[in-house]
Amino acid sequence: MTRFAAFLLCFAALSLVRGQERVTLRLVDWASLEEMPIDERTVAAFEAKYPWINVLYEPNPGRQYEEKILTGLAAGEPPDVFLLDSKLIPTFTNKRVLLDLAPFIGPLGIDTAQWYPNVLGIARKGSALFAFPKGFTPLMVYYNRSLFRSAGVPEPRPDWTWDDLLATAKALTRDDDGDGTPEQYGTAFTNYYFYWIPWVWSAGSDVVSPDGTRATGFLNSPATEAALAFPIALRRTEHVAPDVGSWIQAEKTGTNYALFANGKIAMIVDGHWRLPKFIRFIQEGTLDVGVAPFPRSPGGSKVNVMYESGWCVPVNAPHPKEAALLAAFMSGEEACRIRSSGRLEIPSVRSVAEESVGSDPTGLERVFLDEVPFCRQPWGSVIERFSEIEWTLQDAVDEVMVNNAPMHETMTRYARRVDNELAEIRKAGSTEFTPLKERSEILTFLWIALGAVTTVSAVIYARSKRGGQGGLALGFLAPSMLHLVVFTATPILFAAYLSTHRWDMVVPDQPFVGLQNFREMFTDPSFWNALGNTFIFSLHVPVGMLVALGVALVLHTRLRGLGFLRALYFLPSVSSFVAIALVWMWIYHPSFGAANLFLSIVGLPKLEWLNSSQTAMLSLMLFSVWLGLGYQMVIFLAGLQGIPGELYDAARIDGAGKFARFRSVTFPLLKPTTFFILVTSLISSFQVFTTVYVMTAGGPVGSTDVIVYHIYKAAWEQLRMGYASAVSWVLFLIIMLATWLQFKTVGSDVDYQ
Amino acid sequence: MSTTSKSGNEKRSVAASLGVLLLALTMILPFLWMLSTSLMGELEVYQFPPRFLPSTFRWSNFTEALTLQPFGRFFLNTAIVAAASVAGQLLFCSMAAYAFARLRFRGRDALFRAYLATMMIPAMVTLIPAFLLIVRFGWMNTYWALFTPMISSVWGIFLLRQFFQTIPKDLEDAARIDGASEVAIFWRIILPLSRPALATLGIFAFMGSWKDFLWPLIVTNRTDMRTVEVGIANFSSMYQTDWPHQMAAAVVVMLPIVLVFFFAQRYFVRGITTTGMKG
Repeated sequence: MTRFAAFLLCFAALSLVRGQERVTLRLVDWASLEEMPIDERTVAAFEAKYPWINVLYEPNPGRQYEEKILTGLAAGEPPDVFLLDSKLIPTFTNKRVLLDLAPFIGPLGIDTAQWYPNVLGIARKGSALFAFPKGFTPLMVYYNRSLFRSAGVPEPRPDWTWDDLLATAKALTRDDDGDGTPEQYGTAFTNYYFYWIPWVWSAGSDVVSPDGTRATGFLNSPATEAALAFPIALRRTEHVAPDVGSWIQAEKTGTNYALFANGKIAMIVDGHWRLPKFIRFIQEGTLDVGVAPFPRSPGGSKVNVMYESGWCVPVNAPHPKEAALLAAFMSGEEACRIRSSGRLEIPSVRSVAEESVGSDPTGLERVFLDEVPFCRQPWGSVIERFSEIEWTLQDAVDEVMVNNAPMHETMTRYARRVDNELAEIRKAGSTEFTPLKERSEILTFLWIALGAVTTVSAVIYARSKRGGQGGLALGFLAPSMLHLVVFTATPILFAAYLSTHRWDMVVPDQPFVGLQNFREMFTDPSFWNALGNTFIFSLHVPVGMLVALGVALVLHTRLRGLGFLRALYFLPSVSSFVAIALVWMWIYHPSFGAANLFLSIVGLPKLEWLNSSQTAMLSLMLFSVWLGLGYQMVIFLAGLQGIPGELYDAARIDGAGKFARFRSVTFPLLKPTTFFILVTSLISSFQVFTTVYVMTAGGPVGSTDVIVYHIYKAAWEQLRMGYASAVSWVLFLIIMLATWLQFKTVGSDVDYQ
Repeated sequence: MSTTSKSGNEKRSVAASLGVLLLALTMILPFLWMLSTSLMGELEVYQFPPRFLPSTFRWSNFTEALTLQPFGRFFLNTAIVAAASVAGQLLFCSMAAYAFARLRFRGRDALFRAYLATMMIPAMVTLIPAFLLIVRFGWMNTYWALFTPMISSVWGIFLLRQFFQTIPKDLEDAARIDGASEVAIFWRIILPLSRPALATLGIFAFMGSWKDFLWPLIVTNRTDMRTVEVGIANFSSMYQTDWPHQMAAAVVVMLPIVLVFFFAQRYFVRGITTTGMKG
């Protein structure tokens, strides 16, 4: 801290003397492709105003924004200014990652009164301020005006209640052909905490205690349970909302939005971020959209949630004053005015927000602004690592909604789980950090790895003097060995070191914790659940291999000329994974998907596929067989083609039939290939991640949580890199053991002759 | 052999061929869907029940998808990385595989198993330390950061070793008697005989670097150093996804790999006809 303060002083003194030293700052945000030009304009305005500051604008529109920021912090090279979702602010401030911007307010002449006080307050902690607010949004109800008109239903009044919403939704749900499946739904509901918390709040209740320490007595209180029962019933018993799967499916495939845009859902709950698109639709005349506030509970008060993001500066920024200046500018009046043309959020600057109401011809912006006084700070911006609790709460809703579990028992069980998780987080968060302590140097591990490999090489070389081709072999192995040392051995050593340490990634501190990570792992039921799921998942490998071998044999002997068939089977392997996973999520859609269409054609009962704990894993396995078929088939084919033709001729001369030829020639000679496919496929099935990450996020209720996804959550969501490394080591040992068994049982090396 | 069993055989192989064709159909249907989505208007995507054909074919989706971001630059970057990766893996993996499959030295099997073991650590854990190294080397935002992790792979070494082991030893023994060095045997006998395996490795190396996503995202900050897969992902922002453009970009990005596959496929076939083993 003293070093930093000294640095700050020196800098201040220097800038007084030299004043106009040219400075370059990196600015990172998650601007979408449409948003990027707006932010470029804002940056240009800043550079015009402060010509001695050069800004490198680095947008990261994809969903991996947090990973991007975290790796930058882990390497000690974060951007100078970055956008942070308010849910990460408590974690980052508790770990002292963010610079307190309050000391800059006076000297830089920043007017804090320009911002909505409740929005600015989100990043306040005592007298410190860790972000300048960019903008925010409550959750609102968007509704399709044309559907209201044609059904003769009055549009929502500003003070409408839950009962009004239910009555409206019923009036707008239509089952014209009377088959029990409506063609048009009144509304939609997904399991995600982010979307359902306003129901609980508006019933005057909550999911955790006011001090944020426990859930028992809150999550399982009658008021909370009644509040949750209401939206769940929209889908389960009232049938005015479609079965859209979990949040992850609805969100990734855009189901809710797409159904709304196509007039199949009359009302959806969503944030301000949808507004630019809807305003465009209104202006094009393609869709007539209205906005209503979140309905109030008949007995409760009026309340809404406020999702916000702000501009932050890391604590070790080399140019803190300039960075603070840029952060303040990006949140300030001029920037808000430039940004408000895109209508992406409610501007944090009050005067600009009010201007934007005036310039909005559709009148929708007004409804949003009227909601501001009722906006409440979300738990995510108060409790550290609350995003983890949000997943648990989502599972609780899933248990009731998807698995038909009884409400009170489920909420009581989950309340206890949340209590434990909150206690764990507090315990982990209470560790004191020494800011700016030197991190362990990655190059040290590189030197150790290099040393080890040099020793091994020296031994091999020395032994080769007594016979053998050791020296020559070393020459052949040198490039791959060097590569392995740098990109694999060093990281593995580092992971081994981390497994007995605690590392939160965003801080340099890595205190030694002995075997605590391993103890935590073995006592964590979700670890065992993930491990069991991983084993179940890997069962798809032998099945897939049998299919692949069959296809390869047919393609090799029968359909030899049809090269394009081979290419067809290979298509899944070459395509962009995200795109193809999305298509499969649609195939698996319970109401609209091709899989159930196929089942109903052949007269089988429909399945819930990804939506049920019973079938979700099976669906992923089926998809993985499909996805891996091309890879396995291509390698089988290459193996088949490596078998010399004259061996078959010889076998034929010996009078061997087709099956005998397969048994005596193909099978033994294909053994190295088969073994190779088995080992590599099993390894990658033990390491399955992307499929789970994209298609289910481990759900429903943990039924598809696998080990690497467990590792991912530990590292990137909980910032427990030490724990993640420990789990990786256990996984490593398991895979080693499995591979060793394969070598012992089927892999005795095949030598020709 | 009696004629009845022969026709039974015929029937069975016809059934097998039909099965393979039907299965191929399930392979291609999702892609037809992808293709049709890439030509749809925004509101047409995901209608219920789903539409299989767009009402009007919006070819402009493709030009828009490729011009909203500097996709030309993305293709160039990805091609450079893929080329380096293919060249590196073909050379370095085959060298190492030769040592493991053919050279005799003490500790060979133990070393090979150590190599294999490194495959078993999930990439999720090596990501951060590898990134820390790249930062220390000062390689952020450079091609070095993008391609060096790709130029060798244990997977490739394992693949080639398995194939080298199936090559009859008599050919090399004959060459050895003629006084050929190990390097010459590797270069003149083993490699030419392994074309199918090398083609396979080449395809997978190309594909691996073409489809890589998280690594290029993390080691680059500037748009002009990014790769095609990152470009595709950019169509999904925090709050919404532009499906028609994303699918259009995904289709275009797929094309080069499909082409490479067709091209390399010829080598599979030539691999068997020109191995010289018939002579």
